[in-house]
Amino acid sequence: MMSASQSQPTDAGGWQRGGAQAVRRRLVERSVSLLCAMATAVVLFLLFSILWTLVTRGAGGLSLPTFLHSTAAPGTGGGLANAIIGSCEQTGLAALIGTPVGMMAGIYLSEFSQDGRIVSLVRFVSDMLLSVPSILVGLFIYLIIVEPAGHFSGMAGTLALAVLFIPIVVRTTEDMLRLVPRAMREAAYALGAPGWRVILNVCLRSARGGIMTGILLALARISGETAPLLFTSLGNLNWSTNLNAPMASLPVTIYQYAGSAYDDWVQMAWTGALLITVAVLATNILARWWLTRNGSAQQ
Amino acid sequence: MNKIIMDDPMGRDTVLPALAIRNLNFWYGGNHALKDISLDFPVHQVTGMIGPSGCGKSTLLRVLNRMYDLYPGQRATGEVLFDGRNILSPGLDVNVLRSRIGMVFQKPTPFPMSIYDNIAFGVRLHERLSRADMDQRVEGVLRRVALWNEVKDRLNASAAALSGGQQQRLCIARTIATRPEVILLDEPTSALDPISTARIEELLDELKQEFSIAIVTHNLQQAARCADRVAFCYMGELVEVDTADKMFTAPHAKRTQDYITGRFG
Repeated sequence: MMSASQSQPTDAGGWQRGGAQAVRRRLVERSVSLLCAMATAVVLFLLFSILWTLVTRGAGGLSLPTFLHSTAAPGTGGGLANAIIGSCEQTGLAALIGTPVGMMAGIYLSEFSQDGRIVSLVRFVSDMLLSVPSILVGLFIYLIIVEPAGHFSGMAGTLALAVLFIPIVVRTTEDMLRLVPRAMREAAYALGAPGWRVILNVCLRSARGGIMTGILLALARISGETAPLLFTSLGNLNWSTNLNAPMASLPVTIYQYAGSAYDDWVQMAWTGALLITVAVLATNILARWWLTRNGSAQQ
Repeated sequence: MNKIIMDDPMGRDTVLPALAIRNLNFWYGGNHALKDISLDFPVHQVTGMIGPSGCGKSTLLRVLNRMYDLYPGQRATGEVLFDGRNILSPGLDVNVLRSRIGMVFQKPTPFPMSIYDNIAFGVRLHERLSRADMDQRVEGVLRRVALWNEVKDRLNASAAALSGGQQQRLCIARTIATRPEVILLDEPTSALDPISTARIEELLDELKQEFSIAIVTHNLQQAARCADRVAFCYMGELVEVDTADKMFTAPHAKRTQDYITGRFG
């Protein structure tokens, strides 16, 4: 046996091993890092220029009357109160309808997948819904609700948003439940727990951080939707919380105001856009905080 | 416990085993994983199951609490007698069965809840206890697994924060909290460090006063240390079963000898 100190240097080059190849490797490494850094800079620049534009143009309208007064004729000092309450009501209700429906469908897909054909059909339909252009959802609700009823309504807008909301929750619920280790399920069954208890008390608990994140992201997504509301809740110039009547919303108001010829309306549109962005940003941050908090609790 | 004394044909008094497997066959779909196995698990003894990977020892364990029911395509024929009934019969309430035959897994599997609730969860499935009785039950089982002093001040903290060895002792506590008669352990220490392993092995010695225990292990020393009787499985067959002493000093079968001397597996 030869010990390490006695071993002879081989002709593989010692510290000079690789030669030109090593130089090339370092060059490739550096240029790839540089390209990645540049791409990141472009993305960050876009993001911050959008935010900057929104803040500089929208902040001017951030005053108490904006939150207290409903939209009014140009030059009469209206606010966004009706649009804010309309948006809150429609997205909130859509989330209330969509969360249980989406979660139950997700649970079905993940936990009761014995019958492969039905499950893959449901998953296919849900994934289709996920990528359907939102304006089609608006048209669909228009045809089945607005037209038969003969008028636009907040309820129709809510349902259109719920249709967009549900598939996102279905997908995240299923994905998160599938991440629950098989051993943990088996351990619960091994204590004599019936299936529904295993799902409810163990699997859903274990997946709740991820599912909650999915719900918040879905909420963020629908709170900015305009197209599905154009044919459904239409918009309303006055304060209204009646689900059976046309209802204002921030995105539709922005759409109507931004293209108008009146300076104070354009100002309101920017302010509305700023409000939505801040709300979505806050929701996303909340979602992330929730995920890391629950994630760390499981380590 | 069913400790019925009966006369066997040889005229001696024998104690009915806690579990008796008769002509058990098991299939994963078309794969015949257990072949005609007959084996007794004596009351208040530790029965160790050894054998190379894929020999069917874990499968055998998973038959005993009907864990295979969860997966379509897995089926068993034959008999496993427990308290006068064949547990393989279709009409049996598997949830009651699993509360009477508990199982501890290879990797610690604390539920995403507090230490207290990890134990209370299983108990609540089968019994309605007052808060005081539940507190007592939780404390009792945590003392039995020697975890009480380590966790008594943080019973409401997440069980996930415990170390691996503590988690595994919690899982054992959780299992005995439902007051089973038999405990199945599937390589319970293979994910643990030597000190945690030693503590679990000590625990087994103590637990067999009250429970009948079946343990699958890859570790032959562990089988020699803990088990009263050892069964050697190979390719889905039960090759030999004997007391641990005989098994590791004078096995009958050539295959057993080859395995325990490290010639394969």
